[in-house]
Amino acid sequence: MHRVSRPSVSGILINAAALVLVLSYALPYIYLLMTSIKPAADVQQIPPSFFPAVISFENFREVLQSSTLPKAFINSLTVAMLTTALSLMVAVPAAYVATQYRRRITTFFLLFALVTRMVPSVSLGVPLFQLLKSIGLLDTIPGLVLAHTSAAVPLALLLMSAFFEGVPKELEEAARMDGCTRFQAFRKIILPIITGGIAVTALFTFITSWNEFLYALLLTSESTKTAPIVIAEYNSVYGLAWGAMTAAAVLYSLPVIIVTLALQKQIVGGLTFGAVKG
Amino acid sequence: MNRLLSASALALVFMAASARAETINVLVEGGGEMLQKAVAEKFTAETGIEVKFTVVPYQGVFDKFSAEIASGSSAFDVVTIDVVWNAKFAKHVEDLSALFTDAVRADLPPALLADAKVGDKLIGMPTWANAEIVFYRKDLFDKPEEKEAFQAKYGSPLAPPKTWQQWRDIAKFFTRDTDSDGKVDFWGTDTIGTFSEEWMAHVLQAGSPGVILDKDGKVIIDNEAHKKALEFYIAPHCTDHSVPENVNEIGWGEAQNLFYQGKTAMMKFWAHAYKMTPEDSKVSGNVGVAPMLAGDAGIAAIPGPWYNVVPSTSQHKEAAKKFIAFAIANNALGIEAPLGLAATNSAYSSYASKPGYEHFTPLLETLGAPATQGRPINEKYQEIVDEAVLPAVQQALTCKADVGEVLTEAKETIEDILD
Repeated sequence: MHRVSRPSVSGILINAAALVLVLSYALPYIYLLMTSIKPAADVQQIPPSFFPAVISFENFREVLQSSTLPKAFINSLTVAMLTTALSLMVAVPAAYVATQYRRRITTFFLLFALVTRMVPSVSLGVPLFQLLKSIGLLDTIPGLVLAHTSAAVPLALLLMSAFFEGVPKELEEAARMDGCTRFQAFRKIILPIITGGIAVTALFTFITSWNEFLYALLLTSESTKTAPIVIAEYNSVYGLAWGAMTAAAVLYSLPVIIVTLALQKQIVGGLTFGAVKG
Repeated sequence: MNRLLSASALALVFMAASARAETINVLVEGGGEMLQKAVAEKFTAETGIEVKFTVVPYQGVFDKFSAEIASGSSAFDVVTIDVVWNAKFAKHVEDLSALFTDAVRADLPPALLADAKVGDKLIGMPTWANAEIVFYRKDLFDKPEEKEAFQAKYGSPLAPPKTWQQWRDIAKFFTRDTDSDGKVDFWGTDTIGTFSEEWMAHVLQAGSPGVILDKDGKVIIDNEAHKKALEFYIAPHCTDHSVPENVNEIGWGEAQNLFYQGKTAMMKFWAHAYKMTPEDSKVSGNVGVAPMLAGDAGIAAIPGPWYNVVPSTSQHKEAAKKFIAFAIANNALGIEAPLGLAATNSAYSSYASKPGYEHFTPLLETLGAPATQGRPINEKYQEIVDEAVLPAVQQALTCKADVGEVLTEAKETIEDILD
């Protein structure tokens, strides 16, 4: 006879704690989702209701008919993808060299990357504005990509360094004994085993650029502005269009959710990379 | 012959290039673009000068313009700014005094003209202006049984309120438990606890020479008018219980929604909301409007104007000034936009008798009232409000604090900020 095992008290407690934790993250998003499907009159009901009495897609219709939002979505996507690609191109080899060929200068290099993360972005806005204007890249997609890359590279560098720390130095040495150049060893041996780390870094870099607001506000104007700016415009001085704003926010979150799901395997692999070393 | 052709071609190229150069860039908040779009189109058609709008969120106007100033160069030729930023940007914009002809001055409510002046410069031209007026439920005010009951209880006819006392009486009268469950579920009005402008309007109604500061910059937040106004402001909550209790959670949006959801009988609100009453709202078709309340000094409100300014770093100052002059001369063109606002008396008057624009007459009366005046033109205005004024209002709304002491404390904080 098959015996059904009773769940232990500690198991129940852990699951309950996990549920509370998940809900604390997910509830604001679920509320956002619920608000986006409420009819205009119910959106700011007092007292507020969590679930919509009637499901309505009028907010999504309004947002999709907007003349600026689709263009802003395309700008956001272009900027985030180019920023991710450029950041990885810079950060992956740099992090490899910094961790595998450790010198005083490379330690300083990583420390400096950490320090740049501590500088408030608002203090860099004006210098970036002047810099991009002087090289003719103000209000252009490449200009914003460069600005976002400057913010994303230190993060990517730190993340990739942590992943490369888990790669044994002997791997490159073995590859070189087998006739590989340094670059070949990096490309053919090291990179394939670090794909999970690259996926995690790519995702974080993508999200950094995708959600960035301040540089996008200061460095772009009408034709190049990104979606966070357009979404914020629903909060006007004469009122906040909650319905349209939440619908736009839901649509805007979809690409990140899709990318996360698509890279789920690599992300989990990346996050646990080096956790179990033989 | 070939030389002539080449020269002509070159001239055409130059003309085309100079025509392209005649573009002015306008930095504006979302609603502001809509209000200026029609005038911009007409301006382009008549002058050939293109107008390009850059629309950013409300705070983005301040941030972006500040960044441009800090960088020492500007991509914008006109920036449409909220009146509360006038003092902050005054040093970085052109003097537009020359655009204020006698005709323009005569057509503007005095308070808007006063707000345009920083030091001895007229730094901006009003683009549109708003003010709080009284909104009420026509269906309730017109009901014979309500009229009768009110007359019996207060000895005066039920009519849109004009005075502080009428406001309190009507608010108390309509506050009730409509479903007999022992809980009040319909209120006479609301009290906003997250903004202080409505209280400031009462300060002017009470006869204060200014709000928070007098014209010499002296802190007067503890004068008698400020006290009287604060006592009146908290009374519906603390004494009459004719407003929803969660006053410190009520802002403009919440007040508006309570009214639209048929939970309050009256509200003091920015006039533009009249035209924007949602069709599916419980009060649609039943909204009446009246001028802002009057105190000892008569009707008064705090105007909410926006100004077109020309950054000193603009590369097209003359074209920008031309646009601003054109915009004020054709101010009524913005009224068809969703927000439906203008700045000049003539623009509002031209629509006042049209159906759907019933709010323009009370708005004009309120904006043009002798006691109506703007907030202090001071670079630290926002800090003063955030650190001293709003906390004072919120403390008074606890109903436990002494109003005089609260305002004395606020005065000290403001003096510290200004020092």
